[in-house]
Amino acid sequence: MNVMENIKMAISSLRAHKMRSLLTMLGIIIGVGSVIAVVAIGQGGEAVLKSQFAGEANTLSLFYMPTEEELQANDSRIYEDPFTQEDIELLMTIPEVKKVVASSTTSTNVRFREDQTDSAVVGMNHAYMDVYPLDIKEGRNLIAAEYLSGARVGIMTTNVVEELTGETEAPFVGEIVYVNGQPIEVVGVAEEETGLFSFGAKTIYVPMKTWQTIFAKKTITELSIQTETVDDLQIAGEKATALLNEKYKKEDAYQTLNMEEIAEGIGQVTRIMTIIISSIAGVSLLVGGIGVMNIMLVSVTERTREIGLRMSIGATRGQILFQFLVEAMTLTLIGGLIGIALGTGLSFVVSHFAGWPPLISLPVIIGGVLFSMLIGVVFGMLPANKAASLHPIDALRYE
Amino acid sequence: MIRLTDITKSYPVAGEALIVLDRINLHVEKGEFIAIMGPSGSGKSTLMNIIGCLDQPTSGTYELNGELISEYDDKQLAKIRNQSIGFVFQQFHLLPRMTALENVELPLIYAGVKKAERMRRAKEALAKVGLSDRMEHLPNELSGGQKQRVAIARAIVNEPDIILADEPTGALDSKTGKQIMELFTLLNEEGTTVIVVTHEAEVASYAKRTIFVRDGKVTSAERVVDQELLEKIVEKETFDS
Repeated sequence: MNVMENIKMAISSLRAHKMRSLLTMLGIIIGVGSVIAVVAIGQGGEAVLKSQFAGEANTLSLFYMPTEEELQANDSRIYEDPFTQEDIELLMTIPEVKKVVASSTTSTNVRFREDQTDSAVVGMNHAYMDVYPLDIKEGRNLIAAEYLSGARVGIMTTNVVEELTGETEAPFVGEIVYVNGQPIEVVGVAEEETGLFSFGAKTIYVPMKTWQTIFAKKTITELSIQTETVDDLQIAGEKATALLNEKYKKEDAYQTLNMEEIAEGIGQVTRIMTIIISSIAGVSLLVGGIGVMNIMLVSVTERTREIGLRMSIGATRGQILFQFLVEAMTLTLIGGLIGIALGTGLSFVVSHFAGWPPLISLPVIIGGVLFSMLIGVVFGMLPANKAASLHPIDALRYE
Repeated sequence: MIRLTDITKSYPVAGEALIVLDRINLHVEKGEFIAIMGPSGSGKSTLMNIIGCLDQPTSGTYELNGELISEYDDKQLAKIRNQSIGFVFQQFHLLPRMTALENVELPLIYAGVKKAERMRRAKEALAKVGLSDRMEHLPNELSGGQKQRVAIARAIVNEPDIILADEPTGALDSKTGKQIMELFTLLNEEGTTVIVVTHEAEVASYAKRTIFVRDGKVTSAERVVDQELLEKIVEKETFDS
């Protein structure tokens, strides 16, 4: 008497009472489904939050935290523009670091013919463009030679063009604008940035060298490092800050966003949510399990004569016990599988409206399958035992 | 082959032992065709249950093929029921959701026979009872006689030593009942021991030996061939009880 025979028998007996089986599964379906959905939605949200902090494409920002004295001295040069070109080369020596993304940002006056406006001016290196590609609407991107030579060229976002010309669709490539009083040729127009932390800021992008010329500075405002994988980020960040602090003989002045602290904060929220949902799912599964036990007891009573017959043709008590356990397990397993399907569907729907990808994790699905089978075993034990302990003669004569 | 020695079966009822079988001694040879008769409450069903290994005696010994069955545990009894005994019941006891073929396969499943072999042997058994054309039918698509023949196929599929039939014609009309009894006769002629429990003289007349059970005792065990004589005995036994 193998397991497959038992499963076949179980399915045929469940199919004989389709409605009853489905209603019995409902508790399991809801329980497993809600766990799958909540975990998928939660993990999707967590991933979105983490990617916002870690930056897209595995980047990690470095920053300079001034000491109390430096703050009081009010020497803004130290902490406003804390990095140099040499720092980039130094950071490239770290094996985990793939690219060093550099940018300097200043807000300044931009003039085109008679019109003027204020805009952020971002000086950037070539790596910046690779990590944060611009959505070029018109014209072209900056090329490598322009980064190297510090050519007087730039890319504007559409809202700057709009401010300067009063039109949204005006062709602007080839025009000269004056940034901080210095001429820049516009070679491209890009869409405004969108994202969680972007506010549709007006921006002009120029090569880093050009920015340094325009503002007569040698320094860099922001540095971030990119690694091959997100797992290298933490260690690369630690190495980077150590190198910089050593170079400038500072104690913890150069820092990275502390990923662990952020992860801890997100984890806290996720844990609370998980506890709440788990308790709801737990109650649902408990009620579902009791439902299974109840219906299996009914089934054993209804099939008393069948049990007697099976015993009279040679079924041992163990085989009868196993048959009903498998039946209960099949019931909860099918319930669990339906729950997984529904939970997955639900998380896709919710994620679609929330705007982040659902993360259906394999361990959770496997856990759901195993747990629903476990419920079948636990709550099937009593009915199965009742069936197995019937006396064959009494069972055969049962009316 | 079957040797019952001083078999006693009693149930505790209201603090007292109700004796159902009282020191029964019975010997059945291989290949015999036996009818067990007796009024209801006589203990004939209990006797059949003990022979069929569905029940254990309170005291006494039961030997089957030289093995001491009365010492066996539940699991060993299940194996004997599976391998050595084929049951046929008054109410057929076919599983309603299974086809005739699947019902006949059932004992082989518990015997651990592989699917292909099971199919082959179940088809063979159904052919033997003349139901080759009804194999894929569900029990509720079969007539009473056909159902009982499926049950007989199920009883013989594992090639048991003994067929135990409890009122096998009780739910059938007399013509169908006759056919069923002829089938038992045929199986008996092929060497299978057949034991039929009945209260119908006509059924008992197929047997080569009839045993009367009354008040938990075997009161006569003579060979009855003559139909009229048998009926007289039955009448006498029935009026007496």
